[in-house]
Amino acid sequence: MDIPVILVGILSAAALLLPALDIALRRASRTFSAYFATFVIAISLGIVLLSAVGVIPLTESVAPNLMRNDLMGLFFSMVVLSVALLVSASSIDYMKNEHNISIYYSLLLFTSLGMVILSFAVDFLMIFVAWELMGIPTFILTGYRKKDLASNEAAVKFFILGALATGILLYGISIMYGLTGSTNLPAVAAALSKLSPDMLPMAAFSVIMLIAGLGLKLSIVPFHMWIPDAYEGAPTTVSALLSAGTKKAGFVAGVRILAVAFPLLKLDLTLTLAIIALATMTLGNLAALTQKSITRLLAYSSIAQAGYLLVGIAVLPSTNLGLTGLLYHSFNHAIMQGLAFLAAAIVAVRLSKTTLSSYEGLSKTMPLTSFSLTIALLGLAGMPPLSGFWSKLVLFTAAVEGDLTWLAFAGLLNSALSLGYYGLIIKRMYVDEPSETIQVREPAGFTILLLAAAAVIILTGIYPAPIYDFAQRAVLALTP
Amino acid sequence: MKRAAHIMVDSLFLVLALLTIGASILALESRELVYGAVSLAVSLLGIAGLFILLEATFVAMLQVIVFVGAISVLIIFVVMLVRREKWVALPAGGEVFGGLLIAILLVAVVGYLAVNSGISSTLPPSYAPPSYTQIGIQILTDYWFALEILGLVLAAAVIGALTMAKIEGNEP
Repeated sequence: MDIPVILVGILSAAALLLPALDIALRRASRTFSAYFATFVIAISLGIVLLSAVGVIPLTESVAPNLMRNDLMGLFFSMVVLSVALLVSASSIDYMKNEHNISIYYSLLLFTSLGMVILSFAVDFLMIFVAWELMGIPTFILTGYRKKDLASNEAAVKFFILGALATGILLYGISIMYGLTGSTNLPAVAAALSKLSPDMLPMAAFSVIMLIAGLGLKLSIVPFHMWIPDAYEGAPTTVSALLSAGTKKAGFVAGVRILAVAFPLLKLDLTLTLAIIALATMTLGNLAALTQKSITRLLAYSSIAQAGYLLVGIAVLPSTNLGLTGLLYHSFNHAIMQGLAFLAAAIVAVRLSKTTLSSYEGLSKTMPLTSFSLTIALLGLAGMPPLSGFWSKLVLFTAAVEGDLTWLAFAGLLNSALSLGYYGLIIKRMYVDEPSETIQVREPAGFTILLLAAAAVIILTGIYPAPIYDFAQRAVLALTP
Repeated sequence: MKRAAHIMVDSLFLVLALLTIGASILALESRELVYGAVSLAVSLLGIAGLFILLEATFVAMLQVIVFVGAISVLIIFVVMLVRREKWVALPAGGEVFGGLLIAILLVAVVGYLAVNSGISSTLPPSYAPPSYTQIGIQILTDYWFALEILGLVLAAAVIGALTMAKIEGNEP
């Protein structure tokens, strides 16, 4: 079956239905829309998973020049829909007292749909349209708390820089179209292989514009400035979505574009990308060390993780292993980062504080939340039995194979560095004494969700084969 | 004859480009919001002129109808309605020079690349612009899926904009 079209039908119908139901049902729709949206995303994820294991065969797209139904798309759909499910389910509790709750879920569904389409798009035009469908709702979600000044600031920053990045992306696309006469990625690749050498500078310029345009969402240095403010100001569930969801969708667009353009252009971008990757992970980790608030810390850690992911693209010309690692780490990072942000969200709701010092002795007041947050942080740091270790291992092995041993070494050092601030949070939670012992109730649904995500991290760490296989097959299917 | 046509097109391009850029700067810098809105309309009109110069009359027409016509008028309406709002002018410091420097650098790089690549030598001698029918057929056949999704983008943007504009609780 044509999975993306089915998902378009399901998700867009639900996204359009929710605001209408809100008008019809008034008050009664509050909890309904939350459960409905979660249910719809769960169904979509179910369809994607069934297709991934082969129960629902994947057929060619109805618009084959715009979309390519392949395992790559399925893999990233799985990643982004898992994140959307985590965000949606946790918002049931987190956003309970907000206004316009059905709009929140409607926009969440629209963003999820944009991310899913972006995973399958193989035409610059389609990538751009999906990019917008993914981006526009997130601007509004970031500024969702209209009376909260931090939320307003975050939304304005994100919106202005997002619009600028979209313009830059479009500029890159238009130059590429001018050079190749097509927006379809395989056709672009074919034209690029015949490109006359005196056009190479323009092609390089176009690729740089594309990287810069995508880079804003990918949160790579030097396009990262908005990240900490936006993640801190936005509702924390939305930060989880931005960090774990839209960023991954940005990476799939980057992979599709660069995997096509790279091998054919006689350009050596490996060193450039390797330096960007190094700068991204180092800056992210160093800045995270000095943060006082958990959301800012996680934001910088998210930047650092983007650096690890970028290693996979940097080694692209020499080895496919990097791409496999990128996909694999995308999945692991999405779950870990999502879990970390959501745990921070529930702590922020219960203690109404986001400072790191409020985590002192948290294991006594919120034991289950502390436990799942610990699992997520250890995973992010790359502790051996957890899933984050394996994907980092694949990425760094790919770096060694791609003759970038120094980058692998830098990545290892960075991982050790990151253990510094991750470990500090864990120490605060388990070793330090709480300043005040107030018994805090952990909401049951939320806690089950956190524990489920933690279980995924542990289980895919102990038995990593299925996800790794899936990533490997997806990379093999990328090039026909 | 051909040379004269070239000079005419080049000078037209120069005038339109200067108009567009000048009006854009004015739109950003003018103290009175109405002037800004009008400058924006002029700048968008200049872009429409550039499209005509490229023989993309369809895009030029849409540019005039949608951007110059609808959006600029809408902005002027909004300015009219929220007139009482106070607009705080932030004193600009060194950022202006920094921005200018970056802009000049970017233009220099793009210009250098464009001049040094083969772009100037590979202009197609004659090329028929696509007809409106062709554009319509393309949109509804090859790109129908993108069109559908664009509809959803519009829906999402409208829902979001309405939410942002909605008055909640005891807002003034």
